[in-house]
Amino acid sequence: MPAQVLTSVVDGLMLGFVYGVAAMGMTLIWGVMRVINLSHGPLIALGMFGTYFLFTGLGLNPYLGLLLIAVVGLVAGFVIYGVAVHRVINAPYLSSLLATFAVSMMIIGVGTAALSTSPFNVDFSLGSVAAGPLTIPGTRLMAAFAAVLVAGLLYLFLYRTKPGKAIRAVSNNRGAAELMGIPSSRVLALSFGIGTMLAGLAGGLIATFFPFTILSGETYQLKSFVIGVLGGLGNPIGALVGGLVLGLLEGIIPAFMPVSWVPVIEFALFVLVLLIRPTGLLGGRA
Amino acid sequence: MAALEVRDITSGYGEVQILWGVSLKLEPGKLTALVGSNGSGKTTMLRTIMGQLRAWQGQVTFQGQDITRLPSYQRASEGLVLVPEGRQLFTDMTVQENLEMGAFAPRPQPQMRRNMERVFALFPRLAERRSQKAGTLSGGEQQMVAVGRGLMAEPRILMIDELSLGLSPRLTLDLFESLRRLKNEGQTILLVEQNVAMAMAVGDYAYVMAEGRVKMEGHARDLLHNEEIRAAYLGV
Ligand SMILES: Nc1ncnc2c1ncn2[C@@H]1O[C@H](COP(=O)(O)OP(=O)(O)O)[C@@H](O)[C@H]1O
Ligand SMILES: [Mg+2]
Repeated sequence: MPAQVLTSVVDGLMLGFVYGVAAMGMTLIWGVMRVINLSHGPLIALGMFGTYFLFTGLGLNPYLGLLLIAVVGLVAGFVIYGVAVHRVINAPYLSSLLATFAVSMMIIGVGTAALSTSPFNVDFSLGSVAAGPLTIPGTRLMAAFAAVLVAGLLYLFLYRTKPGKAIRAVSNNRGAAELMGIPSSRVLALSFGIGTMLAGLAGGLIATFFPFTILSGETYQLKSFVIGVLGGLGNPIGALVGGLVLGLLEGIIPAFMPVSWVPVIEFALFVLVLLIRPTGLLGGRA
Repeated sequence: MAALEVRDITSGYGEVQILWGVSLKLEPGKLTALVGSNGSGKTTMLRTIMGQLRAWQGQVTFQGQDITRLPSYQRASEGLVLVPEGRQLFTDMTVQENLEMGAFAPRPQPQMRRNMERVFALFPRLAERRSQKAGTLSGGEQQMVAVGRGLMAEPRILMIDELSLGLSPRLTLDLFESLRRLKNEGQTILLVEQNVAMAMAVGDYAYVMAEGRVKMEGHARDLLHNEEIRAAYLGV
C-alpha cells in the first residue's frame, strides 16, 4: 500500500473514533426512549463553537474546554428534554420527530443570525507525529484518544454504576423499571442529557482539526444515523465500531474513486444493512 | 390497621370501565388470595393499586396513608411491590442486575447484599445463573427472578400476579413452597392465581372476582369448601 493511502486510512480511522462518539449520543437516546433526535447535528455544531469560544475567546486549552462543554451539554440536554421532548414521549414517533426538529430549527436560526454561515476555524495545533511513512496530526491523535476515553467512561457508567444501570433498565422495560421504584422520567432526562453531552464532545473534538459553521453538524448527524444502523441502534459499543467502519471507508474510498462517492457508498451500505440485518451488524439495543 | 385498603375503586382502559367499585383489605402478615376467571379484572385491580392505571374513583390506603394519587415509582419505593403478570424482566440484563434493580429504592439499598443471599438461598438455581442474561432463562427460572427481584425491594406488601402461569406442576409446587415460607416469615402477600385450589390452600383470606366486582370473600378454607362457590366461580 502506498504511504499516501496508508495515511488516508489511518486518518479515517482516527476520525472514525470521533464519529463513534457522535453516534453513541444519538443511539443512546434512541435506545432509551425511541426518539430520533433531529437536533443532534446542531448540538454537535454548538460543541464546535464551544471549543472555538473557549479557546479563541478565553484562551482555554481545547481539551480542558471539553470538560466545560460536557457539563453545559448535560444541562442543555436536561432542558431540551424537559421543554420539548417529555411532553411527546408517549405520543407517536412523528410528534417527537417534529419536536426535536423544532429544536434543531431554533438552534440553526439563532446560530445563523448570531454566527453567520461563514466558516470558523480553531487555530490550534499539536504538531504531528511521524511513524515510519505515516504522519498523523497531533489533534487527530488526541481526538481519537479522547473518543476512546469517552466511550470507555460511558461503558463503565452504563454497566457499573447505579444510575447507568437504571438507564439500561428503563431502556429495556420502562414499566418494570417504575415497578422497581425507578423514576423513569428523570432517567429519560438524564439519558437525553448524556446524549447531548456526547454530541457536544464530538463537535468540540472535530473543531480542533476541521473548519466549521453552525450548519456543519448535519453531516455528522447523518453519519450518526448510518453508524447507528451499522452498529445496531441503541448499542453504544456498536456505535464505536460502526464509527470506525465508516472512518475506514472514508479513508479507503478516495484512493480508488472520487471523494464525492463517499456519501453514495455510505448510504448504499446503510440501505443494505437495513435490508439484510435491520438490527445492525452487531445486534441492537443496550 | 390493614396493611393495604382499597375502597370502592372504579377504573378501566380509555373509555372502557373494567372495575365497578372493588374493595379489598390486606391484613399484615397474612396471605390474601385474589381469584376469579380470566378477564374478571384481577390484573386491572393490581395495576390500579400500583398506580400504573389511574383510579377513576375510590381510594387506596397504604399503611394508613392515602396513596391514590402517588406515582407508581413512589409507591414501589415505599414498599408496595408488584411481581407483574408476564414477569416483565429486564431481559437484556443479567440475573444479578435484575435483582440489583429490585433494590433500587433508598430503603432496601443498604441491605442489598444480604437480601441477594436470601434470594439465592430461596432459589439456589439463580445463584448458578447470576451472570446470565435474564432473557435466556427458562420460564420457571424467569419467574424465580421476578419473585426474587420483588423480594429485593424488602416489600412491606408483596403482590404477585399469576405465580404459576405457564409453569410445570413440579415448579409450581416449588414456588408455592417458597411462598409458604415467606408467609411464615411474616411477609404480607396478595396473590393472584389461576390455580385456585393451591391459592386457597396457602391463603388465609380470599376474594373472588367476577366481571370487575368482588362477588365473594371469606376465609380461604371456608370458600374452598363451599360447594356453591366452587361451582359458580372457581370452576373446581
Ligand atoms: N390494556 C388493555 N386495554 C383494554 N382492555 C383491557 C386491557 N387489559 C385488559 N383489558 C380488559 O380488561 C378486562 C379485565 O382484564 P384483566 O384485568 O387482565 O383480567 P384478569 O387479570 O382477571 O384475567 C378484560 O375484559 C380485558 O379484555
Ligand atoms: Mg391477569
